[in-house]
Amino acid sequence: METVLHTDKLTKTFGRLCAVNRLDLEVNRGQVFGMLGPNGSGKTTTLGMLMGVINPTAGNFTWFGKPATHHTRKKIGAVLEHPIFYPYLSGQKNLELNALIKGADPAHIAKVLDLVELRQRKDDKYKTYSLGMKQRLAIASALVGDPVILILDEPTNGLDPMGIAEIREIIKRIAADGKTIILASHLLDEVQKVCTHFAILRKGSLVHTGPVEEVGKGEEVVEVMAYHDDLSHCLHEFRGALSVKSENGKFLVRLREGFHSVDLNKFLFEKGIVATHIVTQKKSLEKQFLEILQEAASHRQPT
Amino acid sequence: MFHLLKIDLKKLTGYRTFWVVCGLYFVTLAFTTASGMEFLKWLAGKGAEFGQDLNINRIPLYHFPDVWQNLVYISGFFKVVLAIMVVISVTNEFTYRTARQNIIDGLSRRQFLFSKILTNGLLSLMSVAMVFFIGLVTGFIYTPEIAVSDIFTDLEFFPAYLLEVFAFLSYALMLGVLVQRSGLTIILLLLSHMIEAIVKVNIPESAGFLKDFFPMQAISNLVALPFARYAFQEIQDFVAISAVVIALGWAFLFNYFSYLKLTRADI
Repeated sequence: METVLHTDKLTKTFGRLCAVNRLDLEVNRGQVFGMLGPNGSGKTTTLGMLMGVINPTAGNFTWFGKPATHHTRKKIGAVLEHPIFYPYLSGQKNLELNALIKGADPAHIAKVLDLVELRQRKDDKYKTYSLGMKQRLAIASALVGDPVILILDEPTNGLDPMGIAEIREIIKRIAADGKTIILASHLLDEVQKVCTHFAILRKGSLVHTGPVEEVGKGEEVVEVMAYHDDLSHCLHEFRGALSVKSENGKFLVRLREGFHSVDLNKFLFEKGIVATHIVTQKKSLEKQFLEILQEAASHRQPT
Repeated sequence: MFHLLKIDLKKLTGYRTFWVVCGLYFVTLAFTTASGMEFLKWLAGKGAEFGQDLNINRIPLYHFPDVWQNLVYISGFFKVVLAIMVVISVTNEFTYRTARQNIIDGLSRRQFLFSKILTNGLLSLMSVAMVFFIGLVTGFIYTPEIAVSDIFTDLEFFPAYLLEVFAFLSYALMLGVLVQRSGLTIILLLLSHMIEAIVKVNIPESAGFLKDFFPMQAISNLVALPFARYAFQEIQDFVAISAVVIALGWAFLFNYFSYLKLTRADI
């Protein structure tokens, strides 16, 4: 697969603070790459370095296998932190300016305005836009010039649930076009829903990177409900049960490796219990994220 | 090059403040330079009240070739208005963080600065064209006997004026890039002459020649005060090469300092 972005020990220090610490990342073409991390973990600083607005302290990076110049940036559509536009210009004029800088065809503007559903308001001044419209215009501006890569930094920050859903739809639509997307976010749910790969940053260091599919592999947790007075006891008798917990009237059974919900169901049936509810819980990225962060923290403690 | 100029003009032409400030600049510049005779009449009237007789027809304010230096000298006072516009234009880029977005979008830092310098050049050229036009019109109106050779005399004041405006706008651009806050930058810009004067006063007599090397002084030295000639005093009615060299040096340095700051800082 073609490598789009490669960073090699990328480092940025602000005085005594180390914002990004020897970061090695690799993003391949067609991936939707999520950068996860709590606030202040160095996501935006990393993207700032990749986009030429922050000078790295050490290390280097390549786009498309070559050191970056401003010509490379024209092929990348990026919005960092929050939407940035000239408030006194209309949405249309702002996008025309973007197209001028990128050397893009101005005819493309109408298309991206349609994609983010801003055509109606295109001639209004940017400062009159709502936050959701600003975010959508930012995505439109990143799409002007038909970039090969899209970088979005917290694109749903501060939006209401409907706005979040809209932006997510747009991202999925763009990803379906085969564009490479780098998405920085602290919203795990968001990353899990739209990303194919992800990396976790903590205090500027990379603590994990891999495909999203792999999340949820490993031991299974099964939710069980049944009309039985001593369900807990029965469940404990099951050979494959690692532990049994009661939560909101359901029992959560953690299974040993090699055991699945089918085995549990069979076991219950043999005991003469019919489950009214039996569901395999998908391990969420959130859980994995917290686990990884905890692990990283405990590794650090002794030093 | 035109591409970069186009980018910066696109930012400015949609900005109402730009039109208002530039409009005020060109209108006041035009009216002030064109109303010298009215001023002389008013002066004569005041003089008459005190029993002084002033024959305004003996002051060839608008006669070729006097008109060139007279108008260029007066116009020099207005450049501060344009400079404030330049400060607003560049500090806006930092307060709105659009400079950052421009670079993310694919402008190099050098191109960003160059687009601003080009606009400065354009504004300077427009000022020159404006003053030349008013000089030409008023000259034709007030000069009793027009000789072509007189019209073409002393035109060297226009390149000098161009350099004067451009150097000062470069200075404003540099202040904006370094300070990045519009209010503070404008105050610094307005106080520049005064701050420089304070420093110059404290220079010992023996090092007096240094005074011509100070930036504000160097810019003022390009066009000397012409009006003393109407009080039968000797004036400098030419552009001194040394002044041009020093002012050129400053114009280069101002833009170079902006360049250093822009290329090295995190934006």
